[in-house]
Amino acid sequence: MTASELIVTKKLTKQYPIGGNFFTALREVDLCIDQCEFTGIVGPSGSGKTTLLNIIGALDAPTNGNAKVLGSEIGKMNHVEAAKLRNQYLGFIFQTYNLLPVYNVFENVEFPLLLQHIESSKRVDMVNKALEWVGLSEKAKSKPAQLSGGESQRVAIARAIVKQPKIVLADEPTANLDAQNSHHILKTMVTLNEELGTTFVFSTHDEKVISYLRRKIKLSDGEIVDDTIVN
Amino acid sequence: MLTWNLAFKNVTKAGLRTWLNVFILSFAFVLIIWTDGMYDGMSKQVIGDMVDNSIGGGQFWQSNYDPFDPFSLDDSHAEIPGNFQNLINTGKATPKLIRSCAMFPNGRVQSALLNGIDPEQNILNFPSSALKENGNGFIPALIGGRMAKNTGLTIGDIVTVRWRNVNGTFDAADVEIVNIFNTNVQAIDNGQLYIPLAKLQDMMEVSNEATIITLQKGIETIPAGSPSWQFKDHAYLLKDFYDYLDRKTVGSNIMYAILLGMALLAIFDTQVLAIFRRRKEMGTMMALGMTRGRVIRLFTLEGTMHGLLAIVLGAIYGIPILIWSASVGIGMPDTVDQTGLSLSTTLYPVYGVGLFFSTSLILFITVVIVSFLPTRKIAKLNPTDALRGKMS
Repeated sequence: MTASELIVTKKLTKQYPIGGNFFTALREVDLCIDQCEFTGIVGPSGSGKTTLLNIIGALDAPTNGNAKVLGSEIGKMNHVEAAKLRNQYLGFIFQTYNLLPVYNVFENVEFPLLLQHIESSKRVDMVNKALEWVGLSEKAKSKPAQLSGGESQRVAIARAIVKQPKIVLADEPTANLDAQNSHHILKTMVTLNEELGTTFVFSTHDEKVISYLRRKIKLSDGEIVDDTIVN
Repeated sequence: MLTWNLAFKNVTKAGLRTWLNVFILSFAFVLIIWTDGMYDGMSKQVIGDMVDNSIGGGQFWQSNYDPFDPFSLDDSHAEIPGNFQNLINTGKATPKLIRSCAMFPNGRVQSALLNGIDPEQNILNFPSSALKENGNGFIPALIGGRMAKNTGLTIGDIVTVRWRNVNGTFDAADVEIVNIFNTNVQAIDNGQLYIPLAKLQDMMEVSNEATIITLQKGIETIPAGSPSWQFKDHAYLLKDFYDYLDRKTVGSNIMYAILLGMALLAIFDTQVLAIFRRRKEMGTMMALGMTRGRVIRLFTLEGTMHGLLAIVLGAIYGIPILIWSASVGIGMPDTVDQTGLSLSTTLYPVYGVGLFFSTSLILFITVVIVSFLPTRKIAKLNPTDALRGKMS
């Protein structure tokens, strides 16, 4: 693993017990994602995209093989170490936004910083900056229920990037958005990737997202069937 | 501190959900204190009335006396010993002579107990001074309100009383009802007729004899008894009431458990609902880097805060209600007289600091436990399942 390789998987396999048998979601996946990539794991539903993203995000552990993220082997981490990795180096964007409903926009974006025990004044600056990036400064006091789908996803992006993580993992980020909002969101992420050097890894089968990707890793039945760099 | 701040933020920002839970908890909290206060008030009132009106600071019974055996009354009298006489002379004790009799109110015959008491006594809260000589030749007599109702007697009525003296000879005399007293203590009312002690001693042809010596309430030294005179303390004299309280305590405990159960169900329900409704939120928190332990602490603390808020809210609206309830009392139905207890028609709840703190502590501890138990399940929750809104 070189300094620029952020994510490396070797013969990564994930199986889920179903009844007395196992369902294999990932089969010996070998993968390497470098710094500043804007990569998408694409494929139909059930191909193993989200499973791969969850393992990279230390939310799940492999059954066999190994996955190294920023030099840490996911399968050997305990819960606390995994939580620390997610908190310090990873950002998540979910299909359903997953905003905390009782908090307003500012507090939602501030949440990961609270877990890092960053001092109050610095926190305020970082949250305001993140909200500026996604163009939601004027909605800072709004509750998630008062936001549109596009706005909610932009808050989720702000929350993911506020701590300036090394990697942002986005699971079907545009699935619940219309075309206009999808493009707006994607342009925002492209800008962040270029300006902050954040690595983005998407899980998607949305053509709109795919059109923005610089690298497409195609999964089918848990196996990588294609890995294309887009010029 | 972060967990505390987040829990506080979650609780305060949850709005109606928080306040509904807190109100139900506080309601149960106030109700538990009120119910316990009622039992304490009832005990204090009954015991107080029994002590003031009937048993004083304890009694010496003539050894043959058995209140449940009317035939024992023929022999249950003996000369008052010298040490008791000293107490009587100094106003620290009062004698009572009891004899069974038949009385004939309005042409009917009715059994009663003839009680000879000292008109000058001030040991018991009893209008015995009404028995001082009435000057018209009739023996002055006192009865209670229940006895008056049963016999149809009123003040000024003359009624014939028949009794047997120590030799077994029947004798009779007319007595005049000079006063009718009201008391919560049924034992000194139903079937009881009071006349001056000296007069009953004359009628029975016994001199300086008594059946019961009642001591002054709070008397410092209990005199020594003898084979003829046996001391009965409060534990013995109030045994029936304590037995009743014990039986009631079972009912009271069930009530207590129901009320506490209500309170706990509210918080347990909140926590269980939180797991089902907020599992996605927990998954998100874990994805954002919160450890499982911190998630458990956060949700347990939220439940605990509900308990604390309930105690504060309960104190805000409960204390005025409890004080008001203790001052005006709670009216009892007319049938309360049929319980056989010395219950007043109005019960005044009594609340102690201990009751308030013990109830608060029990509520608080149990709230913490029932908050922790469901959130412990979160520890086993797989973050990916939680994010999908699914239970693992």
